[in-house]
Amino acid sequence: MSFLEIRNLCKSFDTVSVINDFSIELVEQTLCCLVGPNGAGKTTTMDLVTGRQKPTSGQIIFCDDDITGLDEHEIARRGIGRKFQVPAVFRDLTVRQNLEVAYSRSTHPLKNLFRFRAPGFADKLDEVLSVTGLGGRLNIEAGILSHGETQWLEIGMVLMQNPRLLLLDEPVAGMTESEIDKTAEIFNNLKRTNSLVVVEHDMAFVRQIADVVTVMHMGSLLAQGPISEIEANERVREVYLGETGEA
Amino acid sequence: MNLYHRPGAQWLAYLVFYVVLAAVPFVVSDNFLLNQLSTYGVFAMLALSISLCWGFGGILNLGQGIPFGLGAYGMAMTMQMQSQDASNPMPPFMLNNSLDRLPLFWVPFWNTGVGITLALVVPTLFCAIFGWLMFRARVSGPFFAIMTLAMLSAWGTLILDIQPYTNGVNGITPPAPLKLGEIVVDPYSPAAYWTVLALLVLATVVAKLMTLSRFGLVVQSVRNDAERVRFLGYNVAGYETAIYTISGFFAAVAGCCWVMLTQYVSPAQFDTTFSLSMVIWAGIGGRMSLMGAILGAFLIQGAQSYLGDAFLNTWLLILGGFFILVVRFLPKGLIGLVESALGRLSSSTGGKTDGNGVSSIRSRLLQQPGE
Repeated sequence: MSFLEIRNLCKSFDTVSVINDFSIELVEQTLCCLVGPNGAGKTTTMDLVTGRQKPTSGQIIFCDDDITGLDEHEIARRGIGRKFQVPAVFRDLTVRQNLEVAYSRSTHPLKNLFRFRAPGFADKLDEVLSVTGLGGRLNIEAGILSHGETQWLEIGMVLMQNPRLLLLDEPVAGMTESEIDKTAEIFNNLKRTNSLVVVEHDMAFVRQIADVVTVMHMGSLLAQGPISEIEANERVREVYLGETGEA
Repeated sequence: MNLYHRPGAQWLAYLVFYVVLAAVPFVVSDNFLLNQLSTYGVFAMLALSISLCWGFGGILNLGQGIPFGLGAYGMAMTMQMQSQDASNPMPPFMLNNSLDRLPLFWVPFWNTGVGITLALVVPTLFCAIFGWLMFRARVSGPFFAIMTLAMLSAWGTLILDIQPYTNGVNGITPPAPLKLGEIVVDPYSPAAYWTVLALLVLATVVAKLMTLSRFGLVVQSVRNDAERVRFLGYNVAGYETAIYTISGFFAAVAGCCWVMLTQYVSPAQFDTTFSLSMVIWAGIGGRMSLMGAILGAFLIQGAQSYLGDAFLNTWLLILGGFFILVVRFLPKGLIGLVESALGRLSSSTGGKTDGNGVSSIRSRLLQQPGE
């Protein structure tokens, strides 16, 4: 059974076509790396899946439901969590408050009016802290965290949501090598229970984590398969790996 | 950690502040002064409502005069109808404007309970509908502020224009104080003062609890980054509408109290200067703090009553200049001075940080864990 299916997705701004008849299928408990040169449409694809932008045509099916064109919060409630390319955390709030907001089991404004705690929050917090290691920073404002810590906090926020599918846009940008190794370990653990789509440029990191690599070019699917296959693919080398001198 | 941020200390500060205010009638025997202080309480409630909406929600609202004015008109109509009876069902100004019978929308105000309910429900409903339309379309920031300003002028003009029904620019002047059942609320009595104060205390407690709740947390997140909140599964428009509407409800309560105290309402309540003053009270006192906003209202209105007479028109210039200084140098308002002073105090005495992960109602409301 396919878990996330993107069918013939198209997105154009005026006359510029950004996503062009893009289709993929993702099975459960896999980690798919989305790679491609700048402007290939990776972030736009994430925007379309999470509802930030509406597709011009095409369908997005998540767990047998058509989620095309739903609002961001409706898609998030169905279990799709997202981490942004530029880390987006609530800078005025403490690390703990950031994680509390992200623990979004109950989302109705009026029901939350005089609710002071969320059941199960403490356990989930301990779990996420043991993964992200922000325990010592709980009561400081998120605005004064370092870049690496901010990345961890946002990953922690996505984990608090308990999503079935995680979309992560360049999660290791600005991290040190040991932090990248730690992230790879977390992701490899996560894919036992969740599915992940990771946009990444760092090919070494991709090799560490990817079950499947999807290569996008000019808004379309260029190639898909295990990393070894992708690295051997002539066309991929031409448009992407060749350009960056990696491989 | 900084005493300023400890909810326990904050509750204590509210307690002391309100106990002092409650004791005022035992010291002040001048009834006019007492009435004046009561109106400051009304202004404090308005500043509180601005602090909720602008300080916590990040929604700059330049049209808070709408719910205030609508609430005030509702109350004035109720009090006016208390002076009419079956043989003389029409307020005098309607006769002067040659109406031959009581307009339909005045009829419910025969009943005091219904009248006051309408005075609160109509403005609240207006805020809910207007807010939902705006926030649903993702109108925010300065664009929302401009919309509220335009709406404020529209209401002011409407009420001015339908003179036979509202007495136009002259406004409504109910001839007698408010009667609640057998009780007459003399606007110059300590009872009126305590009534306003009790409502202000209630509003403060409700507002404070709201800011500490999960709702308040989400609202503050929306102020930080509305986009991010959506991807956590919250309907941002719903939260924005809720905080805007609740803030509007507080303003409507303030409007009712104000007419109870002054026995007067006019389209001046829809003036932009009045709505801007509310923003200035909260801005100078400290919009991120409920207490700061409340103190700002007392301070500025108090100063205006005494210095304003001495300086006449220059007063507005002084106030404007002061506002610019505060915005430029004290973005957290005057209460920000208290925050930094207490911060220096706690860092010099070596405040300890806590790092455990247990949250409970008690710790949220009374003290931080590990302290």
